[in-house]
Amino acid sequence: MYDSFLVRKGSLRNFKEDGKVAGFCFGVRIANYRGVFLSLHNGYYVEVDGESYPVALQRFGVNGKPPRSFEELKNNAVYEHWDMQDEATLYIMKEGGLTPGVHRVGILESILCSYGRMPRDEEIVKNPPVPTPNVHGQGGGGSKTTDVSYFDLELQE
Amino acid sequence: MIKRSVSLYSYQQNEFFGWMDWKAQLREIALNLDGADGVEIINETTIPNYPCPPEAWIYEWRSELARWGLQAVTMDTFLDTLQFRDHVMTYREAGERIRYDLELAHKMGFRNMRLCHHTPYQAVEMNLDLAAKYDIIMTNECDVRSLDLGHMMGDSIESEIAFIERTKTKHYGLQIDMSQFQNKPCCIQLRYRFRTAGFSPERAAEAAEDIFQTFEKIGREATNEYIKEKYPEIAGGPFPALHMHANPIGRMYEIIPYLVHMHGKFYEMTEVPGKPGLYEDRALPYEEVFKHLKKSGYNGYISSEFEGQRSQQDMGLEGLIDEVDQVRKHQQMMKRFIEDKHNNTPF
Amino acid sequence: MAIKRGVSLYSYQQEEWFGRWTWRDQLREVALNLDGADGIEIISEATIPQYPYPSEAFIDEFNTEMARWGLQATTLDAFPDPLQFRRDHVMNDAEMAERLKIDLRLAKKLGMKNIRVLGNTIDSVKLALPLAEELDITISQEIHFPSPIKRDPNSQRYNKIMDILEYIEKTGTKHYGFQPDFGVFRTAPSDVYLGYYFRMAGYEEYAEHVKAVMEAFKCMSYEDLVEWAKKTYPKVFNGGWADGELRPASAAPEELKLIAPYIYCVHGKFFHMMEMPDRPGEYEDLAVDSEGAIRVLKEIGYEGYIDSEYEGQRSQQDRGEAYLASEIEEVRRHQKMLKRLIEEA
Repeated sequence: MYDSFLVRKGSLRNFKEDGKVAGFCFGVRIANYRGVFLSLHNGYYVEVDGESYPVALQRFGVNGKPPRSFEELKNNAVYEHWDMQDEATLYIMKEGGLTPGVHRVGILESILCSYGRMPRDEEIVKNPPVPTPNVHGQGGGGSKTTDVSYFDLELQE
Repeated sequence: MIKRSVSLYSYQQNEFFGWMDWKAQLREIALNLDGADGVEIINETTIPNYPCPPEAWIYEWRSELARWGLQAVTMDTFLDTLQFRDHVMTYREAGERIRYDLELAHKMGFRNMRLCHHTPYQAVEMNLDLAAKYDIIMTNECDVRSLDLGHMMGDSIESEIAFIERTKTKHYGLQIDMSQFQNKPCCIQLRYRFRTAGFSPERAAEAAEDIFQTFEKIGREATNEYIKEKYPEIAGGPFPALHMHANPIGRMYEIIPYLVHMHGKFYEMTEVPGKPGLYEDRALPYEEVFKHLKKSGYNGYISSEFEGQRSQQDMGLEGLIDEVDQVRKHQQMMKRFIEDKHNNTPF
Repeated sequence: MAIKRGVSLYSYQQEEWFGRWTWRDQLREVALNLDGADGIEIISEATIPQYPYPSEAFIDEFNTEMARWGLQATTLDAFPDPLQFRRDHVMNDAEMAERLKIDLRLAKKLGMKNIRVLGNTIDSVKLALPLAEELDITISQEIHFPSPIKRDPNSQRYNKIMDILEYIEKTGTKHYGFQPDFGVFRTAPSDVYLGYYFRMAGYEEYAEHVKAVMEAFKCMSYEDLVEWAKKTYPKVFNGGWADGELRPASAAPEELKLIAPYIYCVHGKFFHMMEMPDRPGEYEDLAVDSEGAIRVLKEIGYEGYIDSEYEGQRSQQDRGEAYLASEIEEVRRHQKMLKRLIEEA
């Protein structure tokens, strides 16, 4: 779902923390026809130029608040909503950021929303799945989009 | 069957120091009190941004209750008549304040709402229809500061009952606080009083115990004389050293038909002599009161309302009393009296 | 009285997502271009800004726009999300009821008569029923593919629909019922979904293969079909979502009679409207037995809404803007079909 639209073209840029380039970021949209409570967001499978960046390196900027880790969203954004229409910013911590030029970005969203209680729910509370590609129905990734979507993005100034 | 609840008032010290938030308090009630399932709150303590908490907080509150299967029993409210400093709150303004609290109580799922003492009937009456719409019973409380069981709100039980009968309301009633029946000295308060009069903690403890034992032997009036002679340091001041209502328990029957809720006020749970693992508050005749409550057929809630913490906050962090432990012991005691089959037929 | 037509704004999800059409544009489309359709169904977390705490201004504006166009609010679609509290536990029934109560109150504010539930447990709905009664809003269990309707005497499988029916009949509640989705009456795999799965498996040309699968569906048993499809297209039918396209209908239109008095809304699910070969200007969806379903609904005297629920857009969003489906056109065609089937003798 929205496979080729999930990352906004022209949104890839490096960001600074304490005066130094601390990583890169880009704009993302939800792969769903509805919004969700942010506690359900389990992060992304992200790869850039073939290198993957685990959830621990990811921060999520949404609702006008400073970037938060997905652990923080899980624990403290239980009643805060990500509206379907809103673009969020996905920050990836990487010292020095990305080099100028075009980069191939692949993402797969892992949001744990569902239509009802599922047998794996208890297990997911204890051990949230690691977002990974090609895990149809395994809970590892994919909301309504089930495969990694790729984007060729030029790093902006 | 009498049901057990906890007023989060009991955890005020934990709340003050930020050691337990309201969610931790609900969890404690649900998991560690052997069947207690009611929650009472102080509106201006538990509710963030009172009187306008975010909708998200209301949802969180309801969800937490749902998670633990807890009942929202009573919300305690206040009526600060000097809120508007250019004039004393009018009846209409008081009515508006109550209305706001009713809206909150409704959103949070409470079945009762305790009004402040001295709430004018005019302000109550303005809200009877709203209370009926939400099916919330407003209650007036007889507490230690009301002079006597017969002088609540500066009015009498007769006027309370007359108000209920005149309006024919099912949404106004009475609640009673255990402190009304305190009939023995409260040692934890006496120790505090001695310490503030300059006694060392050890000497304060000895003196308090001495007063308690003396009281047991010679009674209230003689003990007052004894204190004046032996402990003149604490004999003066606005409150008498032996500060207690000692209302006759039998007077409870006067208000039983209108009784909606009970405050299980307590100050210090101590082990019953000779019965390891069982606890009591020596100042309060709980066993006797429960006999009458059960005889009367009362089947509402009684909330643990711990008030001893403030008597030990003069001695640094190490001197603080453990509220969680005190409530657990109090709930254990109440359960014992509620379930005691031999405790059913007084007199 | 006859069956009434409405639209679930779910159908316009892509317009909404891209921000090309707001809910106001969607209401105007329903009011002006669908020849008498006047029902509006919404998805709670798609249409309501700052769900679940929209501003009073939004509530007012929504009700005003509905009044402007003379539209009727039919149904709010709600979700339980049992992992909302996954920081330490799975949502229990009472918590699920609290979430539903939030949605019930929202539904009331938006003038909705009905709320659609799907994965909510029966016990959680029971806890919310008193509020539903107070607000006079019906709670409808959606019957969505692959849910059956009738109980299969040869199967031990839990049948939620029949359990709910028993509860309704035992208690006589007027506020718990059903919302069947035409997707259960499927007659073929959806060509647009098959196309998507073939593309995901690396196919560039696949129109013939899609046709072959649809033909095979008609003439083979399910077991034979699965075996044939996995052998013929191993990269497509590999245990993933594509396999679901091979499954047969989970219920027959006749089974609607079992739940007839308790149907409070209907989802006119569809995937791809095509012109009928023998009737130029008329449309049909080859994957859904809308005709059979509407015939039975008429037989049982159903007088509520059928809300168009278009779901074909999702399978065409992998190739850039040029390939996106036109939700507006698809819904117009579907409404034309609904009108024809409702009015035909």
